[in-house]
Order: sequence, then structure tokens, then C-alpha cells
Amino acid sequence: VSGWVGALVAAGRGIDFGPVWDQRDNLVRGLFVDLQVAVGGLVLSIPGGLLLASLRRSGSWPLRVAGFTLVQLLRGAALYVMAVWFFYGLPAAGGPKFDPVPTGILVITLLYSGYLSEVFRAGLAAVPRGQTEAAQAVGLGRTTTFVSVTLPQTVRIVLPAMGNVFADIVKDTAILSVIGLNDLMRESLRWAQFYRPFRYFEFITVAGLVYLVLVVAVTQAGRLLERRTGDAGSASLYRRRGFLRIRGAGA
Amino acid sequence: VSTLVALTFDWDVVREHGGELRHGLWLTLEVAGLGFVLACALGLPIAALRLSRSPLVRGFGAVWVGVLRGVPLIVVVYWLYNAAASRGWFVISEFRTGVLALGLTGSAYMAENYRAALRAVDSGQREAALAVGLSPTQSFWTVEAPQAARVVVAPSVNLLVGLLKAGTILSLIGLKDMFYVARTVAVDEFSPFELYTVAAVLIVGVTLVVAGFAALLERWLGRAHR
Repeated sequence: VSGWVGALVAAGRGIDFGPVWDQRDNLVRGLFVDLQVAVGGLVLSIPGGLLLASLRRSGSWPLRVAGFTLVQLLRGAALYVMAVWFFYGLPAAGGPKFDPVPTGILVITLLYSGYLSEVFRAGLAAVPRGQTEAAQAVGLGRTTTFVSVTLPQTVRIVLPAMGNVFADIVKDTAILSVIGLNDLMRESLRWAQFYRPFRYFEFITVAGLVYLVLVVAVTQAGRLLERRTGDAGSASLYRRRGFLRIRGAGA
Repeated sequence: VSTLVALTFDWDVVREHGGELRHGLWLTLEVAGLGFVLACALGLPIAALRLSRSPLVRGFGAVWVGVLRGVPLIVVVYWLYNAAASRGWFVISEFRTGVLALGLTGSAYMAENYRAALRAVDSGQREAALAVGLSPTQSFWTVEAPQAARVVVAPSVNLLVGLLKAGTILSLIGLKDMFYVARTVAVDEFSPFELYTVAAVLIVGVTLVVAGFAALLERWLGRAHR
């Protein structure tokens, strides 16, 4: 046992979190960049997801096919690949070039519109048909039925899942450091290299812990919301779909 | 923009680096595949921990799952590749880092898949098995596990798809995959658009094929179940 303890002590020798503490302002600023992109992405993904979901439920088949194809493409795309393509690839071919923050929000929005459209579709399908039939029976128009009967119930079903979606988005923002987003990940790596010897261990460990705390907090908030609205369906449904969830064609 | 893109798409660059791209795609598949195998293997004991009767053991399992699902994969990658090496603990290749990072992160998700699958088996199955005189161990291996195995297939293939996509970040630490090739060529020849696009299309294609396979499998298993 003493051998193990000795090895542990030896492995831990020289660990110094002082540099991380010295750079706390930069790291916190990075964290806010992450949050900015995550919130922006989430807020824009909601209308995006609704749009895609309504395309897929549309009465005309070309729109349905377009919606289906778009959703599959978006769910097949990896965030890293899309970010690099939009930031480095497209401008090299004469396309527009945006700053890292808007590019990050754009990429997150595209990806999560695809995910959310599936969540919304499940949510819309979960509203009992009797609701629409009853609304129409009492003389409401199709639009009014959707806006004042179907949508509010869908929101109630879907809302708790947002905690998990947001947690996933926060984790994903760490990847956006590759396009020069000055987020927590990039700041951590940059400052780790600033010291001699390199402080990778300290900075990366702290960055991981901060992301972890954030993700756990957001997930728990979602669960609380779930209990509040008294609907256990959607959040657990979303969770069960797992890591970077993608269900295959038609799933 | 689109006409400009169509006019300037330089297939020669793609042809010139076709071999490297193919090699890079193979690397991505290999890392994701091995990472997935590791995740499946490592997920089992973790799931067992989470089902343990001792709260301490259960707690350890829960922490494993919580931490690896809460920390971004990119942090795990940098931690294994840079942090550990900077402390002089261990130095591993980019490839092994990739397999290990995907395997560790994946193990948390696999453990949850196993657990959910075991839960999905009706408790009456166990009760019936015990009633006809099987021991709890026999009941687990001959009655519950086979049924859970069927349930676990679909979410597991979905995880493989996730790992495939997530594994693309490994070019960041210098794994010579398609995106590494694309970036090197972009720097050397200043024509990043073609290679980035081809790499992106290839990876989306592979992902969709595997995802489609997962959907078919899910439908097929669902039918067999009924």
C-alpha cells in the first residue's frame, strides 16, 4: 500500500493550480463566450427545428421530401466538420466569411435544428388527435387550432427536453475553439502553453470540471422543469436517445 | 456564390490527394470502431457497478457515467494527450488517444444502454424463471440477458454513429485523418475548399449509411420481438 501512496504522491508532485487562478478572468470570459454561442444557438434552433418539423408534416410531398433530406443531412453532419467547412472551406471558394462567434452560432443552429425537429415532431405527435378534432368541431380554423390548441400542448411536452439539449450544446461549443472562438477551451489551451513548464494538466482539468459543473447544472434544471410541468415524457425520451443522438432514416 | 463554387471546384486537387484521403477515412473508421469495441467492453462492468447493492459501488458507477457524459470529448482528448504527458505520466500516440477517449466516453453511454436494456426486460420474466427453479444467476444469463441483448443493439449502433462523428475532432491532436489531410493541403496549396468538402461529404455519407443500417436493424429486431 505504501508503494501505491508513494507513487501517487510522486505523480502529484509539482501540480500547481496557481497559474489557473491567475488567469481566472480570461477563463471566465471564455466561459461567457461559450454561453453566448450556446444560448444564441439554442434560441435560433427552436424556430429552425419548428420549421423543419412543419416541413416534414407538410401536405405537399416535395416539401416533405425536402424536410426529410435536410434533417438526415444535418443529423449526419459532425459539428467539427461543419464548423471547419464554413469557417475555412467556404471562404476559400469565394464564399462569405464570418467571425468565429456568428459562425459558431450558425453551425450550432443548423445541427440542432435537425435534432430539435425530431423532438418537436415527437411532441406534436404526442398531442392526442382528439384535441385537433375537438377544436375543429367547435369551429376553429386550421391555423387557430394549431396556434392555440396544438402548439401550447407541444411546448409543454417539449420544454423539459430543452435542459438536455442545452447541456449538449454547451459541450459542443468546446469544439468551436478550432475556428478561433475564444472560448473556455481555447483560453485554457492558450494559457497552458504560456507557462514553463506547460500547465496542460492544470488548465485542462479545470476546464473539464467547469464544463462538467455547467452540464450537470443545466441537466438538473431541465429535470426540475420536468417535474414542475408534471410531464416525464420528453426529457427522458430525449436522454434515452443517447450521445450525439442520431436515429437512422425514418426512425 | 454557387456558380463560382461550381466553376472553381478543382477535382485535380482531390485526385492528387485521393490516396491520403482514403487512408484518412480508414483511420477515422478504425478509431471509431475500436473505440466502440472498447466502449462496449468497458460499459459492461460499469453497468454492473451501477446495479450493485452497495451504495458506495453504485456511487462510483454513477460518478464514472456522470463525469464522462458531462465532460466534452475534446477535453478528454486533450487531457489524455497533453495533460498526462505534461505531467510525465504517460505518452500515447494520437491513434491510441483517440481509441481511448472514444472508448472512455462511449463506456458511460454504453453502461446506460445496458442498464436501460436490463430494465426493459419485464420483471415477470425473472419471477417466472425463479418460480420454475432457476437460480438468480441462471435466470440472469439464460432468461434476462438474452432479452436485454436484443434491446441494447439499436442504441449501441446509434452510439457508434455518434463516435464516428465525434472522432473527427482527432485531427486536432494530429491524427492523420481526412481533415488533417485537408488542412495540410490547405496550408501548402491554398485550396481548402475542395478537400474540406469532399471530406465532409464522405463522412456524412458514412454516417448516414451506418445510421440507416441502425434503423433497419431496429425495425428488424422490433419485428422479431413480436
